[in-house]
Amino acid sequence: MSGPAGGTAENKAPGRGNMPARSEILLSGFGGQGVVLAGRCLGTAATRAGFEATMLVSHGTETRGGYVRSQVVVALGEIDSPVVEKPDFFLALSQAAYNRFKPLAAFGLTLYDSQMVSPDGALPGRDLGLPARELARSRLGDELAANMISLGVILRLLGGVPLAEGQRAARELSKRGGETNVLALELGWNLDLG
Amino acid sequence: MLRLFDTGNRSVTEAAILCGLNFYSGYPITPATEIAENMSRRLPLAGGYYVQGEDETAALHMAVGASLGGMRAMTSTSGPGYVLYADPYGWAIGGEIPVVILNAQRVGPVSGITGAPGQGEFYLSRYPTHGGNFETIVLAPEGVREAFAMTVEAFRLSERFRTPVTILADQLVTDGWEAFEVPETREELESLGLPLPDRASHPGPDFYPDNTLIDVPPVVLGRGTGGACSDWTPTREGYDTEEIGEQMRHARRLVGKVLDNRGLIDRSESVCLDDDPRLVLVSYGSPSRTVRRAVREARARGLKVGAVRLRSLWPFQDKLFQAPGRDHLVVELNCDGQLVREVSRASGREARFLGRCGELPKVSELLEAVTLLLDGKKIDGGYWAEKHGGVFR
Repeated sequence: MSGPAGGTAENKAPGRGNMPARSEILLSGFGGQGVVLAGRCLGTAATRAGFEATMLVSHGTETRGGYVRSQVVVALGEIDSPVVEKPDFFLALSQAAYNRFKPLAAFGLTLYDSQMVSPDGALPGRDLGLPARELARSRLGDELAANMISLGVILRLLGGVPLAEGQRAARELSKRGGETNVLALELGWNLDLG
Repeated sequence: MLRLFDTGNRSVTEAAILCGLNFYSGYPITPATEIAENMSRRLPLAGGYYVQGEDETAALHMAVGASLGGMRAMTSTSGPGYVLYADPYGWAIGGEIPVVILNAQRVGPVSGITGAPGQGEFYLSRYPTHGGNFETIVLAPEGVREAFAMTVEAFRLSERFRTPVTILADQLVTDGWEAFEVPETREELESLGLPLPDRASHPGPDFYPDNTLIDVPPVVLGRGTGGACSDWTPTREGYDTEEIGEQMRHARRLVGKVLDNRGLIDRSESVCLDDDPRLVLVSYGSPSRTVRRAVREARARGLKVGAVRLRSLWPFQDKLFQAPGRDHLVVELNCDGQLVREVSRASGREARFLGRCGELPKVSELLEAVTLLLDGKKIDGGYWAEKHGGVFR
């Protein structure tokens, strides 16, 4: 675990049960990394935990090397705009996605896969490198579980949405590797973030 | 209630089946493909039929035919398919045949981009077929949850008015995800007015009456109903005629039944209008959500603005825009400006325009525009805003 990158980051994300009225989460990567599945698990878990939730999915037009983006909003009451303009959490699983959305990094915590992304040291805001892909490969034998390890981290920092609901959603929504994804969420949830 | 986190395509499917839908025909197209997919799985289990047409013209013709046979029918598409509905849409209007049509608008023109929202069929939904002499009924949901409720409303209006109802959604409504509720018990179904009563068969012989009344049972062909129907001008009995007098009677009914009963159709939402703000933002569909947030944030900053959201588009609700001294800023997902023209006409003064192609305007952009307009300045709307009142003096 590399700990907070950039040297100045202090994790001030709300603790469990201390969730703000509205949280914005931007999940990004390239096609096949499970960005949309992670968003569906987050939205489903939040919905079952009694929150309102929305998600907008978009992707680049490139066949390869583009980006996938899930904009998730979780709120205690009515959600007006579903657009993530000031993400409390920005997850980048690929360099292309990081580069595209990093202007939004100033508002909250940026999480990036430390083996996939070279972070921009000049960015404002807090950031944290996660060796998600490497952990998924070495601990779970499936590097595709990097999305769920990352989501586990976000769920814990977000507060309010129980890990068990995330796991239930992962089990139901994963077309493959459901049990691996359940373990990956737990691995991410329990990671020592330094 | 069953609480789901899913797309508008799913919420529309669930609502339609609870309405008693038993015939869906369509041609898959992004961003409405999942309605067809969902229907193909769900309808056979619910005792209904799913048919994939060879194109959209055939798909709506089949739905119209199924409705004429007494079934509850719908189809769904996006802009490139909606334009192909022109012929059967006319049959349904002229023959007074209930059918529900969903258009998930994507950015155009022509095929545009499949995965980006647009609002280019505002006027096409008013004039979806040739010949004139009709009014259309068009509803516009802003999200997944409202798409569920509006599908129920669309079926009800379609039956009561004996005419097609278009649900004019957009890509963010159908492909977007949101928490929503589906009724599970009889009590919950009934609380939503579901399921709708079975189709009554018009006893005749006055199948096309000489009045503008609604709640006239639709014409059902076959099984000894005695019903008749035509795409030509019909007599009251439903036979073809070349008599001008009959044409006038028929046209009067098609227009009048909608306009005389528009109280059942008109739908809108007001945001922060109680203190009569001078500047009012106008929108429909998914942009309304960022508009609402922008208005609330503007109010929090002490800026006196409000918003009107159109939940039904046609017949157009002129009265919403006739308060004296108001300026309107119309926010649309297009750059040529469509709704803005109707708002300008209805209000009698040129409305301001902020158009975005393929993505929602940001709350921050809207706040900036509102601030500039209230200061009597020009908004940065570029060429298109210049052409549609971007200058605020």
